[in-house]
Amino acid sequence: MDQNFTFMVYGFTAAWLIVILYVISLALRESRLRQELDRVKRMLEEREK
Amino acid sequence: MNFLRQSLAIAGKDLRSELRSKETVNASLSFALVILLLFSFAFDPGSEQVHEIAGGLLWLVFAFAGTLILNRSFARELVNDCLDALISSPASGAQLFFGKCLANYVLLVVVESACLPVFVIFYNSHWPRQWLLLFLVMLLGTWGITVIGTLFSAMTVNLRLRELMLPTLIYPMLIPALMGAIRLSTLILAGEPIGADDQIWFRLLVAFDIIFTILTLALVEIVLVG
Amino acid sequence: MRLKIILTLSVVCGLILAWNLHTMFMKVPDEANQGAIFRIFYFHFPAAITSFAGFYLGMFAGVGYLITKNLKLDSIAASINEVSLAFATIALVTGSIWGRVIWGIWWTWDARITSYFVCWLLYVGYLMMRRAIDDPTTRARLCAVLSIFAAIDIVIVWKSIEWWRTQHPGPVLEIRGGGGMAAGMEAPLWWNFLAMLLLFTVLILIRMRQESMRREIDSLRRYAHAF
Repeated sequence: MDQNFTFMVYGFTAAWLIVILYVISLALRESRLRQELDRVKRMLEEREK
Repeated sequence: MNFLRQSLAIAGKDLRSELRSKETVNASLSFALVILLLFSFAFDPGSEQVHEIAGGLLWLVFAFAGTLILNRSFARELVNDCLDALISSPASGAQLFFGKCLANYVLLVVVESACLPVFVIFYNSHWPRQWLLLFLVMLLGTWGITVIGTLFSAMTVNLRLRELMLPTLIYPMLIPALMGAIRLSTLILAGEPIGADDQIWFRLLVAFDIIFTILTLALVEIVLVG
Repeated sequence: MRLKIILTLSVVCGLILAWNLHTMFMKVPDEANQGAIFRIFYFHFPAAITSFAGFYLGMFAGVGYLITKNLKLDSIAASINEVSLAFATIALVTGSIWGRVIWGIWWTWDARITSYFVCWLLYVGYLMMRRAIDDPTTRARLCAVLSIFAAIDIVIVWKSIEWWRTQHPGPVLEIRGGGGMAAGMEAPLWWNFLAMLLLFTVLILIRMRQESMRREIDSLRRYAHAF
């Protein structure tokens, strides 16, 4: 029964870990995209001057 | 009628160029032989157990050898922008695709027919009494591989990782056809009759071929032309 | 505006999840045969169903793109398929852990697990394909075709592997004519389902925002190259 409970905890941890990892990857991608957007915008502004 | 004539022209072109260079068939055939050799180390080739997995081995060889041919099918048109020329030719996308399909089919069946006797000799199977039936299974299964493979070959032709993408995409997709073909081939190679239970695999193979032939012909225009 | 929706939804989702965890551990007793481990089902089942529904939604978005040629639909399809893949991973992993306790093995090649795994592989292929193509319209077109193939193929895979014999527990819930769960045990399941759906929506909305940002970058780039 003890082992049963341990595995349940593993299961819950695994499920949430996947969600959290996915959210982290989303956040990383978001910041990378934001940087890129800034860079492109700045590039365009400089060119228009 | 016109559809078939145009397709046959494309298929004829492909087969003729293959007949002159023989590069794809040679590569695919020797690759198949290498795999057949490697299998002999994976298990005891003389044991009875071989009969139980014979169909699986055979179709793995076919599937591996098949991707080599399928990969080249559209890739060979990349040189000198032949693909663009073909697409802008009067033949429609579906005709071009169907022609390529026919050519690949013939090549694949040739390679498979050459592998089969070698397989029987290497693994001490008996030449199956129902060899006509085995040939039918081969034709049906191969058509499934060819139709999906040719479409995905067209999809992946411009990708950076073409050679890697094609197998990773098509093998999962081919599982139903491979499963049916493996099951039937195992039975036939073991010399067992195909019972009423296993008739379903024939139906599966036919259904798979029909569904995906229609689907690919419907979607190929989008893939090739856009 | 979009940000506000995302925030509200995620707060609601968090609240429901917290409340669910409370009922799951404080109110619901251990299941008679399976003990504590059955609680995994509260995540396993919603994740599996949601991911499946997501793959089909993704296909419809793809078809919509092919009809309208609106890149927005492609980004919807991409977001849905990616989040669904994450949910499918959850279902596979939790299922595997559950199997370790109940069947004593991490993995078994039974019908449903195998076909689910095939489905997972197909959509990994989909994401690989998205990565490999640079041109946005080509990418949208080919990926839509790929998702149509995957969605149709998975039905055939499902059926054909089922003929290959099965070990997975049959339908458990009332609606599909199974033995059913005790009423007190079933309610949290549906609440958790709701929570998972909300999470699904939130993730998709976030992902879509990124896609629209990427489209903006693309168009700015094109604008820059036009000079």
